[in-house]
Amino acid sequence: MKIKKNGEIRTAYFYISPLLTIILLFILIPIVGTFINSLYRDITYLPSRFTGFTNYVDLIKLSDFWNSFKFTTLFTVVSVSLETVLGISFALLLKEVFTGRSFLRTILLIPWAIPTAISARLWQLMYNYNYGLLNYFLDVTHTGAKVNWLGTARGAFWAITIADVWKTTPFMTLILLAGLQTIPDELYEQAMVDNATMWKRFLYITLPLLRPALVVALIFRTADALRIFDLVYVLTGGGPAGSTRTISILGFHYFVNGDFGTGSAVSIIIFLLVFIFSFFYIRAGRFKETL
Amino acid sequence: MRILYPFILFLLLFISSCSRPRELTFMVGGSPNELLYWEKVIDEFHEKTGINVKLIRQATDTDQRRQGIVIALRSKSRDPDVFLMDVVWVGAIASSGWLEPLNSYIERDNLDLNKFFSRVVNEVDRYRGNVMALPVYVDGGLLYYRKDLLAKYGYTTPPETWEELLQMAKKVQARERRKNKNFWGFVWQGAMYEGLICTFLEFSSSFGGGIAIDSTGRIVVNIPQNVEALKFMQDLIHRYKISPPNTYTELKEEEVRLIFDEGNALFERNWPYAWGLHEKNPELKDKVSITKLPHRKGKRSASTLGGWHIGISRFSDVKDEAWEFVKFVTSYEKQRDFALNLGWNPGRIDVYTDTVIEKTAPHLVLLKDVFENAVARPSLPYYSGVSQILQKHLNSALSLSETPQEALQKAQTDIDEFIKKYED
Repeated sequence: MKIKKNGEIRTAYFYISPLLTIILLFILIPIVGTFINSLYRDITYLPSRFTGFTNYVDLIKLSDFWNSFKFTTLFTVVSVSLETVLGISFALLLKEVFTGRSFLRTILLIPWAIPTAISARLWQLMYNYNYGLLNYFLDVTHTGAKVNWLGTARGAFWAITIADVWKTTPFMTLILLAGLQTIPDELYEQAMVDNATMWKRFLYITLPLLRPALVVALIFRTADALRIFDLVYVLTGGGPAGSTRTISILGFHYFVNGDFGTGSAVSIIIFLLVFIFSFFYIRAGRFKETL
Repeated sequence: MRILYPFILFLLLFISSCSRPRELTFMVGGSPNELLYWEKVIDEFHEKTGINVKLIRQATDTDQRRQGIVIALRSKSRDPDVFLMDVVWVGAIASSGWLEPLNSYIERDNLDLNKFFSRVVNEVDRYRGNVMALPVYVDGGLLYYRKDLLAKYGYTTPPETWEELLQMAKKVQARERRKNKNFWGFVWQGAMYEGLICTFLEFSSSFGGGIAIDSTGRIVVNIPQNVEALKFMQDLIHRYKISPPNTYTELKEEEVRLIFDEGNALFERNWPYAWGLHEKNPELKDKVSITKLPHRKGKRSASTLGGWHIGISRFSDVKDEAWEFVKFVTSYEKQRDFALNLGWNPGRIDVYTDTVIEKTAPHLVLLKDVFENAVARPSLPYYSGVSQILQKHLNSALSLSETPQEALQKAQTDIDEFIKKYED
């Protein structure tokens, strides 16, 4: 198998060449272009000038950058963990046969199907101080004074996390459910014969066999969480006082202010961050063995 | 041979398109009804002068409008020839050398600049002595108040100073709260966005401070009057509690207007656009009035200047036609039409005394006084970056995560650091 004729390899390259061209044109060139741009002082109203890594050095010295870095990674860790736990639970529940299962499976997808900007607006209305649903309940039940939910850094963090978990848990559930369906029932029957407890069946059969699906879901979710923009932009706009500015929002602010060089540098940093996370997941997923 | 026909046809079309009369391109954005109105303006212009104008429609969003214009100018594109600019970009675009100085045209046609708000022309449209643009419409912050409520609690005139406003708001809020738990004394824009800079400029200037540029070109924000003003803004929310706690997270123009529209506020700081909407509200009809924003005792009240200006691209290939269009848009008749049809506040001062205007839009008479004393935000190439820094620290002070002193100190340090990048 290992020895291939040159002709075969050539044919193989010929067949994948359209894909390679597309990757080159639409992924590699923009990334390289952004990187080159990040080495320039490229500001709207001024002539552009090569400055090497100055943009990166300036960013690393900036406390704003580190605040948004901390916020983004903390948000990613907390929201992806919650989504994973909830996603696995929902997937396990929905795998069982019961009346109304297909109905539940369908409505579970609703949060994921709503465009993020719209669901963010819905959540914003719920958190709203004057007309919000949460404050309405506080008012009706006389449990306490109105709360300005988005008014503190901590409140805003949890407001964003909850909205994100609500929105993306269905995605996690969907992929994991597909993964669960590939696990043969015989394995569980065998385990039942051996008197394995439910927990042990989960730990030794479900989890290991679910790993490929889980890794795929985690890669997607982590990459999305690290790049999060729309939800935060609509919900808090990066406030209060810049405490919820994610790295993407920071980069966006540079672009809006016409500082394309620094904006590009921020983009490259996000790219590297996502790349590193994905790399570790693929390592942890041990894809080489399964493929 | 037949196969060549399409090519011949194409060639003919190409030639005919080249020899067509030269066309003027006008880039403008705004709400759908504004764009519809611009189409009408263009038709009228065509009828009057025979010059064709092509309209390039832009989004409503101000930032997107700026990007569209800047990208075209940066690439030295021949289109657009004429465009509208927000008050804060005029300086930046002029300093890049992308605007055609209008002096020679103004002199040639004897255009009287005194017919425009002279302060606006001098502070916004002039760059190194040259006039680079002309105001199409102006905007400024106002104080809206409930006439009926002030009368109910024995006040005959609206507040002139912040101290008076505070007293009135405290008293009325306390009494009104008995029936209406959601009642607030004073609502204003405090969320982290450009609007916060506008309100801060009004508070600080009316405390005797402001956002100033010193002789070395440095932006100065950390002065005692500004600290005092910021402290007052913070106190309105947290100490006197006459402004809602979500002021610094949620309140922008529309949020503020809605609170007032629902009858839940005594005073409101907003732009003139809210006037028409409050007027249309049957529950507020004849209960609302406008006045100048208050000031600190012994100081002068201030209103932040907004609005849009028209200018000609330096890369335009039809500058004379473009100038005709600028003259048309800023003419007395058109300016009055804008006021009557779109509710815009004319950039020409003589329209405010027009008899039709006085009859149909009497509030404009008061506005004239406000615009004459409006304060402009600094006109600089890196203004938006400075604004971003300032927004963050002002908002920190309002959310109590920094003291007013700290906030302005840090803003000053950050701005000084930020500007270094622009020096060379």
